[in-house]
Amino acid sequence: MQEFDVLVVGGGAAGLRAAIAAKHAGATVALISKVHPLRTNSAIAQGGLNAPLGKNDSPESFAQDTFVAGDDLCDRDVVRIFTQKASQDIIWLERMGVPFNRDTEGRLDRRPFGSNRQSRTCYTDDRTGHMVLQVLHEQFQREQIPSFEEWYVTSLAVDGAACLGAIALGLRAGKLDAFPARSVVLATGGFTRLYLPSTASLGTTGDGQCLAYGAGARLMDMEMIQFHPTVLAKKDGLLITEAVLGEGGVIVDQKGGSAADLKGVPRHRICLSIHRMQNGDGSVSLDLRPIGKDKLARFPQTQETVKAVGGLDILKEPVPIRPAAHRPMGGIETNATGETSIAGLFAVGECACNGLNGAGRLAGNTLTEAVVFGSRIGEAAAKQARAATQRSFPTAKTTDEEQRLAKITSEQSSNDSLRKIHGELGRLMNEKVGVIRSGTGLKEALDEIQSLKERYSKIRVKNPSRIYNYELTSYLELGSMLTLAEIVASAAQNRTESRGAHHRADFPERDDTNWKSHTVATLAGGSVQLQKKPMASS
Amino acid sequence: MKYAFYPGCVSRGGCPELYPSAVKVAEKLGIELDELKSVGCTGAGVLPQNISDPINARTFAKAEQMGLPIMTICSTCQGVMAQANYRLKEDPQYRDKINREFLADEGLEYKGTTEVKHLLWVIFEDYGIERLQALIQRPLKGLKVSPFYGCFLRRPPEAITPTKELNRRKAYLDELIAILGADMADISGKGKCCGFPILSANEENSLAMVAKHTGESKQKGADFMVTPCPLCHLNLDGNQARAEAQTGQQIDLPILHLPQFLGLALGFNPDEMNLKRHIVSTDEVESKVSMMS
Amino acid sequence: MEVTFKVYRKDPEKDGKPGRSNYTVEVAESATVLDALLKIRDEVDSTLAFRASCAKGYCGECMVRVNGSARLCCTAKVPDYTKKGPEISLDPLRNIPVIKDLVFDFDAFLWNKIKAVKPWLESDGSSVNGENLLPDSQMQDMRKVMSCFNCGMCDEGCTVLPVDFNFLGPAALTKAYRLAFDPRNKNSREQVKIVEKPKGIWDCVHCYEADEHCPRGIEPTKRIVALRDKAYHAGITHETVARHHKSFAASVKESGWVDEGRLAVESEGLTNVKGLMKLLPTAAKALAKGKAPIPYMHAKRPDADRIKKIFEKAEQEEK
Repeated sequence: MQEFDVLVVGGGAAGLRAAIAAKHAGATVALISKVHPLRTNSAIAQGGLNAPLGKNDSPESFAQDTFVAGDDLCDRDVVRIFTQKASQDIIWLERMGVPFNRDTEGRLDRRPFGSNRQSRTCYTDDRTGHMVLQVLHEQFQREQIPSFEEWYVTSLAVDGAACLGAIALGLRAGKLDAFPARSVVLATGGFTRLYLPSTASLGTTGDGQCLAYGAGARLMDMEMIQFHPTVLAKKDGLLITEAVLGEGGVIVDQKGGSAADLKGVPRHRICLSIHRMQNGDGSVSLDLRPIGKDKLARFPQTQETVKAVGGLDILKEPVPIRPAAHRPMGGIETNATGETSIAGLFAVGECACNGLNGAGRLAGNTLTEAVVFGSRIGEAAAKQARAATQRSFPTAKTTDEEQRLAKITSEQSSNDSLRKIHGELGRLMNEKVGVIRSGTGLKEALDEIQSLKERYSKIRVKNPSRIYNYELTSYLELGSMLTLAEIVASAAQNRTESRGAHHRADFPERDDTNWKSHTVATLAGGSVQLQKKPMASS
Repeated sequence: MKYAFYPGCVSRGGCPELYPSAVKVAEKLGIELDELKSVGCTGAGVLPQNISDPINARTFAKAEQMGLPIMTICSTCQGVMAQANYRLKEDPQYRDKINREFLADEGLEYKGTTEVKHLLWVIFEDYGIERLQALIQRPLKGLKVSPFYGCFLRRPPEAITPTKELNRRKAYLDELIAILGADMADISGKGKCCGFPILSANEENSLAMVAKHTGESKQKGADFMVTPCPLCHLNLDGNQARAEAQTGQQIDLPILHLPQFLGLALGFNPDEMNLKRHIVSTDEVESKVSMMS
Repeated sequence: MEVTFKVYRKDPEKDGKPGRSNYTVEVAESATVLDALLKIRDEVDSTLAFRASCAKGYCGECMVRVNGSARLCCTAKVPDYTKKGPEISLDPLRNIPVIKDLVFDFDAFLWNKIKAVKPWLESDGSSVNGENLLPDSQMQDMRKVMSCFNCGMCDEGCTVLPVDFNFLGPAALTKAYRLAFDPRNKNSREQVKIVEKPKGIWDCVHCYEADEHCPRGIEPTKRIVALRDKAYHAGITHETVARHHKSFAASVKESGWVDEGRLAVESEGLTNVKGLMKLLPTAAKALAKGKAPIPYMHAKRPDADRIKKIFEKAEQEEK
């Protein structure tokens, strides 16, 4: 087994950025990713990344918009760090080769996006995630960091209160191996595959959150899930970037009347509006034609995929849409340098919750978050590794892990199916823990999740191979999702108010007296324990 | 039918059998050829575009002056010219620049109206198959022939098959074989590369391609291969022995030029078509043909 | 609708020989091939191995051959492939070593080749002076080239790769274009030199198969041609190719057309006795058949001086 100072788990934008930063800070670094970095969920991000570069813009104005989108649940210090660092990190991306769109002066162009009051979203047509990821991967290769691609981390090695590394299964060789490290950075992405429909890639199943939670770390604000308003109704999860609303696209109901002005409105409010329109009239559509053919040339990916997947031409017809689960605000609780409650364990990006996003992500903040905190946490992890005392890796853990995997592999399995369980889970989450929640619905959801968990416990992995055994990885991923589902539903049940993305039909108002606090979830005695964490006073 | 004839470099250089057979066949068909004598090499994909585009623009301008479309007898000439023509037609600003900087001092100007067509396309699109069929004197019954187009006659799509209808161009040689009475020994590589362009850069790969295509053709029982490109011919015929040596195969497959193939069906005898010039012996083909008439 | 999927199988833990499994499943009219594969793995045969990630046509991970044609299986609609009958065959891409079932060795096929062209900008990233100021027209071309999502279709259709797997291939060379032509790269000259080495741009036969195969219209072959032109102007560093191109250009410049005899000789190099000896057998045969153009005994075409003028003007403009 090879030993590294910093082990980064997850090859998306945040993970790559963290790995590069850790290397620059002098650490020996390795990356583990269950898919190749260029196939991660970051590749499908479209709209853009925010930076206060405009003449009339400022970190303060940017911060203010972030607070509003987060419905006042954001951590002020974290937001300050973020908004002050964003410009320099985006310029770093440009200098490293991202082919951003330019304005007439040759500067980074910025488009209106979501509820940003200033145009501050830098973009590359509608393929921003793809381009940023590509350039990050280029620079990652420049650093010659060992990259373990198609390796699935099955557990974290935690001894006492410190993380000592990870154990992972290499899909190609089919072998389990230990990865001792002085710092482990989880950058494993979100978990919205928990919902169906979902805009996320198949592997966005919250494995990192589950690993951390199982090792004793805290998860925060898990009830806060952002739904994306403009997702193709016909094909599960194919989203059209919200940037189209900023450029002139309109949301129309079945009679052709457009929704009340939804430009510049936070996503959760757009989703609520669409939800109401659907309940009333049925189908809601997105009409992109008002944008005009010239401007629509900036959305080649949208045109291509809506046609290939949905069979529709955005130049000729409105496109039926409905909201779908998109990105979580909640995740592994960290401070502003990515530290979790376990020494040596860091988290960054969509799997982490450092208080930046509160109860709602400002559109365009996610990719910026990945690079701003990616570099910051990479540095912090390197620093931590230098200061950490040398500890030997508990090799018994690898044997334990072998046995655990052997136990779940068996020819004898119930007649049930992983996909069926996932399907039922996804639909129930969408219905009862979705855009609009209620006490009764949440109770039902928790009961149903329990019965799904029981069904899951009777399933075994029939395929005994370890080489490219996707039945095994699907099994483990479903386990993560079931664990997180219970946490999300519990946290949603617990928060008896409406704030940001969390909307309770039975508690429709915001309650700052009782609820100006985060929800923290820990594993205690085999079940979810919830606590309120009051917001830091500014 | 009259064309500004562009024979290219190889038809009078390394493949001197091509030029006279093409001229004879054109005459027999009644296609008038007015040769473009004072024009330059297309560049063949070797010269960079900033040099070859002006040279080709000049050729197009001269044909425009003559008021005639250009006919080629080489897939490479065809492809390189078609691509240059596409660029000059699609971008009027670019065309203006080339006119201004390179052609104006000669009093020439390319207006963007010239068409460039290979003999193979001329036969199907301008001349007409019925007319051809009426002139066939020696249907090549019993001969098995493999088509080999030459890449530049099939791609890139925007210059070669710009419309759905013109996709048919990819099958002309196949069809012609049937029209001339022969059977086709189809090969998977008929639209692939013969290896000629990498002869100096990577001889091993170049000869491997020759062995692959001619070997497959021979294996499928072909009497010969026909190609509309003399550069392909140089490699497939000229270097066949070296390809055999490299791969340890015995191939012995004669390669015919398109006009020679047409000529035999139109009644010319093998000597008139200069078959004796080929490196790989065409004796067997000749004896089969002489037994036909 | 009921469809039978005939899927390529290969098990590295058994005999590693290629085989086929037939699965008959019920799928919705709106199902994609990926939907069917996921269903098969879940309900029928959990040992089936295939890759997928975004499931929406963005990321390039799920390439397979459906009824012989390479494409993303997450956007392949089942009814489009059952018009001739309720059977669909699924195979890995051609010319790539297969690891297991539909999982092929993408490292050897593509990722390692991209690494080999040193795929990064030599840039310092310091934000002190703000962003590079550049017109959007320059970035537009970069966005086009960088929209490549590594699907591998260009490499799959390549003429050279079946003959020489070690050829870098259109995808990696398109990456090299991005690096050589990005105005922010301080290293573009080196970038071109890297791909001038054997197995690089000079090994490409510019057959334009890549352009025909690319689903995004990136035109990889044209990018390779542009790299070659750039190398020509900067001075070709591949010795044999440099000799060949120099000779070709010289004879067209002097006479208006190509002196093939001279070209054959000068490509080898006038002092390259071994190389010239290699030519002798073919030359002898050609001479005997009356088909050898005698080098240097090459008549000038009418208007050769006009062609020469074009050369001179173009060469002057390059400076």
